[in-house]
Amino acid sequence: MYWLAVKTFFHERSRLFTTLVGIIFSTLLTITQIAMYLGVMGNASTIIRHTDGDVWVTSRNIQNFDFANPFPEDRINRVRALAEVDWAQRLIISWGFLKLENGGQEQVQIVGYNPDSGVGAPWSMVSGAASDVKGGRYMIIDKTSEQRLGTLAIGQVSELSSLRFKLVGISEGIKSFTTAPIIFMSYNQARLFYPQGQTTFIIAKLKDASKAEEVSRILRDTMKDNDVYTSAGFVYKTVMYWTVQTGMGMGFFLTAILGLMIGAAIVGQTIYANTMEHIQEFGTLKAMGARNLDLYKIIFTQAAMSASIGYVVGTAIVFLTKNGFEKAGVTLYLSVPLFAVVFVVMLLTCFASAYISIRKVRSLDPVMVFRG
Amino acid sequence: MEKIVQIQDVTKVYEEGKNRVVAVDSVSLEVKKGEVLLVMGPSGSGKTTLLSMIGCILHPTSGDVKVDGTSVAAMKERELPDIRKRYFGFVFQSFNLFPSLTAAENVEVVLRLKGWDRARLKKDSVGLLGRVGLERRAGFYPRDLSGGEKQRVAFARAMAGDPPIILADEPTANLDSKTGKEVLGLLKEFSQTAGKAVVIISHDPKAEAMAHRTVFLEDGRLKQ
Repeated sequence: MYWLAVKTFFHERSRLFTTLVGIIFSTLLTITQIAMYLGVMGNASTIIRHTDGDVWVTSRNIQNFDFANPFPEDRINRVRALAEVDWAQRLIISWGFLKLENGGQEQVQIVGYNPDSGVGAPWSMVSGAASDVKGGRYMIIDKTSEQRLGTLAIGQVSELSSLRFKLVGISEGIKSFTTAPIIFMSYNQARLFYPQGQTTFIIAKLKDASKAEEVSRILRDTMKDNDVYTSAGFVYKTVMYWTVQTGMGMGFFLTAILGLMIGAAIVGQTIYANTMEHIQEFGTLKAMGARNLDLYKIIFTQAAMSASIGYVVGTAIVFLTKNGFEKAGVTLYLSVPLFAVVFVVMLLTCFASAYISIRKVRSLDPVMVFRG
Repeated sequence: MEKIVQIQDVTKVYEEGKNRVVAVDSVSLEVKKGEVLLVMGPSGSGKTTLLSMIGCILHPTSGDVKVDGTSVAAMKERELPDIRKRYFGFVFQSFNLFPSLTAAENVEVVLRLKGWDRARLKKDSVGLLGRVGLERRAGFYPRDLSGGEKQRVAFARAMAGDPPIILADEPTANLDSKTGKEVLGLLKEFSQTAGKAVVIISHDPKAEAMAHRTVFLEDGRLKQ
């Protein structure tokens, strides 16, 4: 009966078109919303995820990576004192204003790291190296900031909160949650933008990464004025803050659900209309000896085909428009698991939408075929 | 001639709320192989209900239908499709062809339902169309066929899989006189050459001339 399902499916061109438009739209909306959410959350936690540390020591009652408060930097010694710790490094996250060529200024996020260890350094460089910030007022800016800061050129000198910094490197694809351009510099230079003797984070690498939870507990007991997280825990804390406490997650979630519902409604309506239009044919099949299962196969095959074709076209459009999104400053995090999950959800949505038709066909009395 | 269908004191009652309609009332009938049986009667006389029960589409309220000696009354609802598939070919008043399928594919549907050998599907469906003179129309869609051609495709479809019984519901109702005669001729030829049983429901007087036997139904009861 799959054969009949395919034949009938492609015969009804106008209905097929309507169904596919609905699913394409639904796929597009669902994937972009989830990919945008993942992109935004990826940006919010990007430095944590790309920093080679197992444990993060932060100020007390921190909400997320970007809203960290200063605490005494000499507390690093307490971390280093633990036998389980291989090394510990400090990281400063601060804010400043970069003067633009046109006379305006842009608020930027400053990341100060130790260029010798590279902990917290930019990980994807287009020009220069992460260690180039060592020994002076040097900075690395991400290429995605060009939209806000103008064209970046190695060697250019810009004023950052009244201090002149030379651009020695350009990174790629490193964005903050706040969308403020990120400026990387050495830890020593970042101190100029931060209270004296204070730091934002202490990052520890353990000799045995599997003991991260245990070491975090020990540090929590000894550093009562700080919070301590495992790397994964800090990512979770940051993501949950933006997702739950700001309502942002719910916004994305609702739009994605709305996309699915629109798709479900269109598919359900078209499959039902299609079933009703072909009810005589279903009755004929039943009279000729087809079982209900044979008819279910037709309906589910058509639902699956609608979902698959609509999904493939919708996904292709996502890829085609990805650059446009990126240029507009929107990060789409596209991954195989995301595509797989959306496909399964789309398929299930189409099957659920086909259920009304299944009920109709199940109760169909084949005697109807003798009633003209 | 050997009996292929036996209808034994069959009654069908439709109940809707307080209304009770006896559509078929204590009908007994036999259909033999190689026989063309015509069932005539006014509208509402129970012809369609009787045909539905012969074709194992409807269960009788009482009585029994035996197909090739097998009692249908004792069967469960889910067993009936297999009986229909194995024993019956159907010709409908409105042809009931699938508009999205070509003439050959319309025949192929039944062969597929019957689990026909895939390698033979195309050849056999075109062959069946050849038997009704439509081999050259095999690739045509129903919309491109005349009424007579559609009914001949429907007849080829009914023959698909070589069922021993053909049930035809008003097969000439939507056809002109000449074409109707041709279709009836095909049904009779099929019955005689292949030794099949053909049950026709019709108002058409031409059908009476073609049939081996005619029974009249009135108010659900048989009038010999």
